[in-house]
Amino acid sequence: MSSNPDKLLIDIGSTYFKISTENTIEQHFRDFNKRILDDLTHKCGATVNRFDAKDVHICSSANGGLSTLIIGLTQSYSLKYATNIAYNAGINIIDSIVFQNIETYSVPSDLIDVVIVVGGIDSNGGVFDERLDNYLAKCQYSNVVFVGNTQDASTLKPRIQKLTVLPNIIDDRLHIVENHLKDYLTNLYQQDIEGKEDIKHLYDITDNQIYSTPYVVNKSLPLIQGSFSVTDPFILLDIGGATTDVHYSKDLVSDNIVTEQGHDRMVFKKLGVYKSRQSLIFTAEQNEFSYELLMHLKVNESIYQENSERATKILMQLAIFLVLCKMSHYRPAYVTLKLLSMNSIVFTGGITQVLTSDDIEDVVAFFYRKILNSDHKPATVLDGNYDIWTLGAKEHAACR
Amino acid sequence: MKIVTGVIGNDIHVVANRLMDLSLNARGYEVFNLGVNTYLEEFFDAAVETGADVLLISSLNGEAEGWSREVKPLKSTYKSLDKLIMMIGGNLTVGSGNAEDIVPRYKKYGFDLVCHQVDLNTGLDMLEDYIKEHRAA
Ligand code: B12
Repeated sequence: MSSNPDKLLIDIGSTYFKISTENTIEQHFRDFNKRILDDLTHKCGATVNRFDAKDVHICSSANGGLSTLIIGLTQSYSLKYATNIAYNAGINIIDSIVFQNIETYSVPSDLIDVVIVVGGIDSNGGVFDERLDNYLAKCQYSNVVFVGNTQDASTLKPRIQKLTVLPNIIDDRLHIVENHLKDYLTNLYQQDIEGKEDIKHLYDITDNQIYSTPYVVNKSLPLIQGSFSVTDPFILLDIGGATTDVHYSKDLVSDNIVTEQGHDRMVFKKLGVYKSRQSLIFTAEQNEFSYELLMHLKVNESIYQENSERATKILMQLAIFLVLCKMSHYRPAYVTLKLLSMNSIVFTGGITQVLTSDDIEDVVAFFYRKILNSDHKPATVLDGNYDIWTLGAKEHAACR
Repeated sequence: MKIVTGVIGNDIHVVANRLMDLSLNARGYEVFNLGVNTYLEEFFDAAVETGADVLLISSLNGEAEGWSREVKPLKSTYKSLDKLIMMIGGNLTVGSGNAEDIVPRYKKYGFDLVCHQVDLNTGLDMLEDYIKEHRAA
């Protein structure tokens, strides 16, 4: 597949960056001693210089995205809806709190980019009392947004400093209303990317807005079936250096969330093979099947200590297994996917440069056998050439 | 008056649920219908989000008993549901069963009103009487 003839597409990740022109796609490990722009011009200067700033399109997931803490009334509605919207806006969730038990939750030590407070339909007011104020007073956050019932919105506004109030994400029939919160979060993410010192310099080489990578990938999802031998329903797994991103067809969830888009996204923070290697290993150690998987791959736990290509390969295979576990009934995340109905799994990101189709199919088959007791075999598709990203970026560049 | 209703568990018998929705609306309730295939936690969560007065659960396919045993332990984890009126109806046992055994058993599980194979309108009249009594008390 070729990209736009006259455009240069650049994606900055936490570990790699890649650049794509009409006929080439290059990927480079980042040099963390250099600013991104310097690293980029050092490694690909000739290519970059060939393009006009108006033809350069950049997206980034380098800073891992914004972090959010969600405080909601219940798991099945307010927290679930806000989680869905946050993930789709490309935001990482550090914790979610059921309001009635807020006093039992510890206060996050990190600075939170945005706290989301949600709960109640509009005719149900008076649900957020001073326990909310007390908790927020102890947190460090940059933004706080209320997307719950209108009655509490008006009483909370004077009580909580800098509170942004948006329309309720739960309507009077208990259905989700996405747009206002999604736009707010997408804009916040956008401002964050643009505000990052390191990213700012990239505006030296582009006249276009720099977008978040999940946003761009999301653009390509409806187009994937036309370009790959992928049949719906499918999932797209992007196992990166710091986090793992999953985009999945809505058909794979039987759920009370009814929205218009055909695909949703969820993120597993700290399931990456470079920056979050340690926490990946920790997660593996908590999973009673990891040991068997290692045996199956003919290694043992000492591989965790190894620093070799082989170790990276094994960790990536483990990551695939752990992510599939987390999406299944075996280790339920916030949604459980009907993995037995899944027809294809598309792999993209750094993983496609390290693992072969055989390596991947081996783990996928192991997962289905061990966890789901099934011989089901979804087609695995490797996006080794970053076509998905190119597709999204291209689509996006074309829209502009 | 707000009422949350739906069919519990992996139960897809939808006809009674549709009729229930119509009847409740006709009787002037504000209805939140969660439909078929609804889990117990979703019922309680919906009651919290809406501030419902009544939770009305249907069960047709024989799953009722298993779920009902979970009612008390799960409900006790919620801090705002003490006043919620709990009602269940449909086919509350596998096979026919008789109401004399079934009703007291389900009351022990935590339901205020139990309607085993009771016609919908009779059941909803019972609910109205119950609400009147309780308002008076
Ligand atoms: C149609 C039907 C189906 C259809 C459902 C289609 C659909 N999407 O709705 C299909 C074919 C899919 C089906 C499947 C099954 N069914 Co079926 N089904 C029926 C059938 C024939 C009619 C149900 C119906 O719609 N009736 C009309 C409505 C209006 O009446 P109702 O449901 O009885 O509800 C009335 C009252 O119960 C009351 N009511 C209901 N809820 C409440 C709540 C309150 C608070 C109150 C006051 C009153 C109330 O109000 C209604 C009107 O008065 C009944 C048998 C029968 N004749 O009742 C079996 C029946 C309900 N099914 C039964 C079974 C076992 C099954 C299956 C497990 C069969 C199987 N082995 O696969 C599956 C289960 C599927 C699932 N996951 O739930 C059994 C349940 C037995 C039990 N409880 O012991 C029944 C009773 C048949 C039987 N005699 O064995 N079924």
